[in-house]
This record gives sequence, C-alpha cells and structure tokens, in this order.
Amino acid sequence: MSALALFQVVSLFLMAVGFYGIAFRRSFVGMLICVELLLNGAGLGIVAAGQLTEANPVLAQLSTLLVMGLAAAEACLVLAIIIVVAKRWKSVDPSVVSELKG
Amino acid sequence: MQTSALVLFVIHALIIGVGGIMAVASRSLVRALVGLIMTLFGVSGMYLLLNAPFIALMQLLIYVGAVVILIFFAIMLTKAPAGGEEERPNQVRTYLLALMAGVLPTFVIGWVVLTDQPASINAPLETGLKALGQGLMEPYFLAFELISVVLLVAMSAAVILAFKRRQSR
Repeated sequence: MSALALFQVVSLFLMAVGFYGIAFRRSFVGMLICVELLLNGAGLGIVAAGQLTEANPVLAQLSTLLVMGLAAAEACLVLAIIIVVAKRWKSVDPSVVSELKG
Repeated sequence: MQTSALVLFVIHALIIGVGGIMAVASRSLVRALVGLIMTLFGVSGMYLLLNAPFIALMQLLIYVGAVVILIFFAIMLTKAPAGGEEERPNQVRTYLLALMAGVLPTFVIGWVVLTDQPASINAPLETGLKALGQGLMEPYFLAFELISVVLLVAMSAAVILAFKRRQSR
C-alpha cells in the first residue's frame, strides 16, 4: 500500500465511524460529536491528498482550514439549536422531536 | 515510508481508532467527548506526519480549544442525566441499520479511492507559512472572506436563537 492509501484508510475509518454514530446515537449532542468525527476525516483526507500527490499543497491546507472553520460555525449553530430544542421539548432525543412526521 | 514513520503512523492510527470507537460506543456523553478529543489529537499527529505543522496546530487550537468546549457546554446545558437518552437498551435493528449506514458509503467511496491510486510521494515537503499566507491573501482571498462572513453570521445567529423567547404557538 502506498503512503496515500494508508492515510486514506484512516480517513475512511473516521467517515464510517461518523456515519455509524449519526445513525446510532440517540441524543443531538451525540450526533454532533459524530459530525465532528466525519469532518475530521474529511480534513485528513484533503491534506493527505495535497501533501502526498502532485496536487497544490497550499490549496489542500487552506481548504482543510476552511473545513475547520465550517465545523466551528456548524458546532456553534447546532449548540444554539440544541438549547432551543431542549427548552421547548424538554428533551434532546431526536425521536421526541418529530412534529413534522405525518 | 520509512520504518520509523510507519511506526509513528500505526501509533497515531491506534489512537484515532480507540478514540473513534469510544466516541460512538460509550454510553456516557462525556466519555464520548473524551474519545473525540483523543481522535482529534491523533489526527493532529497525522498532520504532523504529513509535514503540515500549521494545520496540526490549527487542529489543536480550533477543535480541541473551541469546538470541544462548545460541545461540553451543550452537554451541560441540556442537563443530560448521566447517560440520559443514551442509556436505553438498543434494539438489534438499530445496530444493523447503523452498521449499514456506516459501511455502505464507506465501501463505495473506499472502493473508488483505493482502486484508482495516483502515484504517491513518500516524503511530503513542508509548505512554508509564507506560502500559506500568500495563498490566503492572493488566489483564495474570496474563500477567506466568505468563511469569515459565514462564521460571523453563524455566531450572531446562534446568539439570537439562544436568547429568543418562546413564542406562543
């Protein structure tokens, strides 16, 4: 296996764990933790692709920085949404918050 | 890869693996958060192995410094009683569906990525901070400005959302 493939396997592992957790967790906070795992895997994959191939390394590192910024913005918004949901439904269980269900 | 690099890689991969499994599998959310922190440190070590020290430091600063604290506040503010929602026993169906959700997309993407491998460089070169700064200020200036606007909007929206009084429905 080449060096790139090794790093990509780790990145894929993070993705698998993240998706598994999003489907498996039963509170919004747990799902948020798993989304962070997913985004981390994405960042690792991007940097590995930029550093270990002929691609432009500056572009790769800056896009990972962008992903980190997006992750911070997302975590911040989700925190506010979780607080609103917890105030209104008195629970952070996604199966309780199902008013849109027909 | 040299042997020492391979050994370091395996150590970091183990840290990431244990942390990731802890983050999804543990019943207590605080323990899951500790697992996430472990994974973040492991990924930061991987960035150092990839010869990208700036990104490694940013990973520690942004994720461990900010995002993890935010998640911890979310845990505390929702007053999840030790375990809370996560304590209920799971049905077998949940495990199966979650396993499918994890394995299927990973299998598809992994298959595509691993069958078509570009030539890999074994010793990545370090990109200087100067080059990164120039990249941020010259070709990718628009992206830089947009991410600042996105962050500003997200933060102010979070403040407004969290302070809003409950409307009568």
